[in-house]
Amino acid sequence: MPKIVLEHVTKRFNKFTAVEDLNMVIEDREFIILLGPSGCGKTTTLRMIAGLETPTEGRITIGDTVVFDSEKRINLSPAKRDIGFLFQNYALWPHMTVHQNIAFGLENLKWPKPQIEERVREMLKMLKIEEFDKRYPSELSGGQQQRVAIARTLAPRPKVLFMDEPLSNLDAKLRLEMRIELKRLHTDTDSTFVYVTHDQLEAMTLSSRICLIKNGLLQQFDPPMETYSNPANLFVADFVGNPSMNFIPAKAKITGEKTAEVSFFGKNFLFTSEAPLGELKGEAVIGIRPEFIHLEKGSMKGKVYGTLPAGMETTVKLIIDDYILTSVKFGNVDYKLHSEMNYSIEGNGIILFDKESTMNIGKGTLTLA
Amino acid sequence: MAEKTISPLGNNIRTYFSKPANVITIAFLFILIMTVVLPLGTLLIGSFKVNGNQEAIYIGDAEDGDFTINHWKELLTSKDFSYAKIKFWTPLWQSTLMALIACVVAVLFGGVVAWFITRSDLPGKKFISTVFVFPYIMPSWSMAMFWENFFKNTEINAGMGMLQAVTGICVPESMVYGLFPCAMALGLHYAPFAYILIGGILRNMDANLEEAATVLKASRFKILYRVTLPIVMPALVSTVLLVFSSSISSFTVPFFLNKSSINSGNNFIAISVQMRSLINTGFTKGQGYVLAIILMLFSIAILTANNYITGSRKSFTTVTGKSGQVSLVKLGRAKVPVTVVMLFLVGFFAIIPMFSFATESLLEVPGDYSTMTLRYWLSGEPFEGSNKGDTIGILRSMFMWQALGRTLLLSFIVSMIAGTFGILIGYAVARKRGSRAATIVSNLAFLPYLIPSMSFGAVYLALSYTKGFTWLDGSFILLILVGSIKFMPFASRTGTSAMLQLSGEIEEAAIVIGVPWWKRMTKILFPIQKASFISGYLLPFISCMRELSLFVLLVPSFQTLATTILQEYSRTGLTQSSNAINLLIIVVVLVIQFAVNKLTGASIDKGVGGN
Repeated sequence: MPKIVLEHVTKRFNKFTAVEDLNMVIEDREFIILLGPSGCGKTTTLRMIAGLETPTEGRITIGDTVVFDSEKRINLSPAKRDIGFLFQNYALWPHMTVHQNIAFGLENLKWPKPQIEERVREMLKMLKIEEFDKRYPSELSGGQQQRVAIARTLAPRPKVLFMDEPLSNLDAKLRLEMRIELKRLHTDTDSTFVYVTHDQLEAMTLSSRICLIKNGLLQQFDPPMETYSNPANLFVADFVGNPSMNFIPAKAKITGEKTAEVSFFGKNFLFTSEAPLGELKGEAVIGIRPEFIHLEKGSMKGKVYGTLPAGMETTVKLIIDDYILTSVKFGNVDYKLHSEMNYSIEGNGIILFDKESTMNIGKGTLTLA
Repeated sequence: MAEKTISPLGNNIRTYFSKPANVITIAFLFILIMTVVLPLGTLLIGSFKVNGNQEAIYIGDAEDGDFTINHWKELLTSKDFSYAKIKFWTPLWQSTLMALIACVVAVLFGGVVAWFITRSDLPGKKFISTVFVFPYIMPSWSMAMFWENFFKNTEINAGMGMLQAVTGICVPESMVYGLFPCAMALGLHYAPFAYILIGGILRNMDANLEEAATVLKASRFKILYRVTLPIVMPALVSTVLLVFSSSISSFTVPFFLNKSSINSGNNFIAISVQMRSLINTGFTKGQGYVLAIILMLFSIAILTANNYITGSRKSFTTVTGKSGQVSLVKLGRAKVPVTVVMLFLVGFFAIIPMFSFATESLLEVPGDYSTMTLRYWLSGEPFEGSNKGDTIGILRSMFMWQALGRTLLLSFIVSMIAGTFGILIGYAVARKRGSRAATIVSNLAFLPYLIPSMSFGAVYLALSYTKGFTWLDGSFILLILVGSIKFMPFASRTGTSAMLQLSGEIEEAAIVIGVPWWKRMTKILFPIQKASFISGYLLPFISCMRELSLFVLLVPSFQTLATTILQEYSRTGLTQSSNAINLLIIVVVLVIQFAVNKLTGASIDKGVGGN
């Protein structure tokens, strides 16, 4: 039911433009993640949808209601937008107990007392914080505070839930646990989640679609796997994925609708794209995910620059001429430094970028000519 | 055997004192016991003994130095000519009422301004917040003088004030002199103080706390009273308590505004004024000490209440998140009227007073602008029919220049001592956080703040009459001592908070490479928190420049300090001169404050605890 539509939304602070001409449709029950480096406008976007920030221009619709329209001068207050908001620092009221914090929103909705009690119990149980009922926020650990904040936000059963980096103040282990919990909550609550983070791994693992923003401009709005395997441009390709994609400057010439001749590292390759190629203005950049570089096979040679074993897989850096390539090998391996290493580039996820526009002009395979 | 058991103890002591923080803690424990606890003890003893031969004769059947409970008994219970009622209970009740009204005025005015400045899109915030602090920088009686200058009228035989001159309205005497105007003058003086404290909390308070309530559909009013107010409450309570304790013991304001005619039924003697007259009358000194102790008990009760309220488990420590994205409340249609009202109020209470001091100092006949003269500033003639032996124009008076010089010197020395002590105490408290000695030092250093200026003066007066300390009586050293200790709380508070913000690692990094302690202080710690530390020097300086109540009992003659000359002129009805001196003090203080602010970034509100 609540589908969120943003049309030409722009936000300017004096001369600085935080968000520029943003268009986005968030479908019902989606788990959308706004991803980008800090200061890119993702939090501002979230706060504009929630009504905590007023856009300079544009139109925002939640469900059937226009909640903001700069032309028609509509601007509904956050209270009238039927939303929940989870703040980065939880924003628990220090002078209220856990119970009071959770009940506050229900009191505002004028729920009858027994029903409030019942719902608070339910939330306490759901988030496993029953024993902290009578405590004050300052007497809880970070993870417990986080749960209380979630309980408070979910208690009035909002149809749309906004979250602003809710896990960034937790330690690594707890963050991992809470990720699972949030994903389960999304299924259990039947609501639309919009979530802000700068952690690409969080975005990859949680979302149904990622909205990548850079300097206030939308870069790509796709499911995580699509964003990962077919990034729209160099920025997205670089931002998503860890270890990040290898970028190799190359000379390229389009030879057919779906083929191009590419040369780098003193070798010539044939690039075969899945779809018709885009426009190539001059120089090109080849993007190769680490998993497409296979070691100990093939005819190309490099030297081992360093290895980073992590148990399940090992990141191996190779140096070829002046370029350092990253590859991943499954299992625990250790190569001698400076030793020579053969490698090959295999896989159907090699990306050809236009250097000037930074756009992805084709995704396909690379074969030695 | 014996040697073996002693040597580890000796080692322990040596290790303990090898840390500068420990040395400082112990040193200040000693200094503070000498300068705060000991004088307080003297005062307490003074209230239970016969102080001097006059008192002995007055009490009868007693000798100087004898133990007596007469002071307490007489002042609190005597029914002869309603003595206790007139001398104690009525002043106490009236002063309490005055202090309560002052609190309400200060918190409402200061709090509302603080809210508009921190939480709304009011235009001209910078100007308003700069100018709004003026009344706090001015001497505390300035508002009283301004009140008188503005409201006095010929109908009550007080000369024509600004209101009458402009509109012809004559307000009744109770609007000009007495309890109500005293309360208003105090409230207005402390409003900026309330603004700084409340504004500081509002600024630090995470705006998300309010937004969270908005999202959960709380009305604006509900957010205010269920979320904002409870969170600001500790600051509010502190403000109320501090304003209350400062107001109830304020001497200068009631002193300037108790000129009511005796029969008007509007007679108002504040408890502090009463205390001074008791102490200055040779045979009731002990009763004055009793009053001083009672005023102090008030303050200590207030501090305890404050600690109780702010120390509960709800812990109001502000969780600092990213409050960068504070959305300001849009005033919308109210913007223009609110701005106009704010500018008017701030201008009226911060700028017009100075204008009024200037005009009053220039008018031979108050309110009559045809009698404008520069006589009270520049004339070289001596006073007519008086034996003051001084010239009329304050700018040509040697006495005035000497007094101003002495005031500046006193303030400078006091601020140096208080500021340095503050930094050292801050260092010791921050490094020894939680240790019992450090807690005691920190509390003792704050105690002088809660002792009313007059009582504090009385404490040292009692000390200077005590055997072994009589050399202090009437000396400049006594003034320095009193000032340094009284104004140290400002410095020790800023010093402590600034030191707490510096992590120990910053200093440890220097210890590791063998930098000696004093060099760590001067080359590392001080430069990092320069603005805060200098604020710790600035606040005692300004407070000392404009202080009267603290010194009034202790100066050898009224010509000692600029403020005491001012008080004397006001008492003898030379309002032009007292206005001129007041303006002079304000200008000097403002110039110094702005110069220091521009040069170092230090500021008053940093000193008081705002940001």
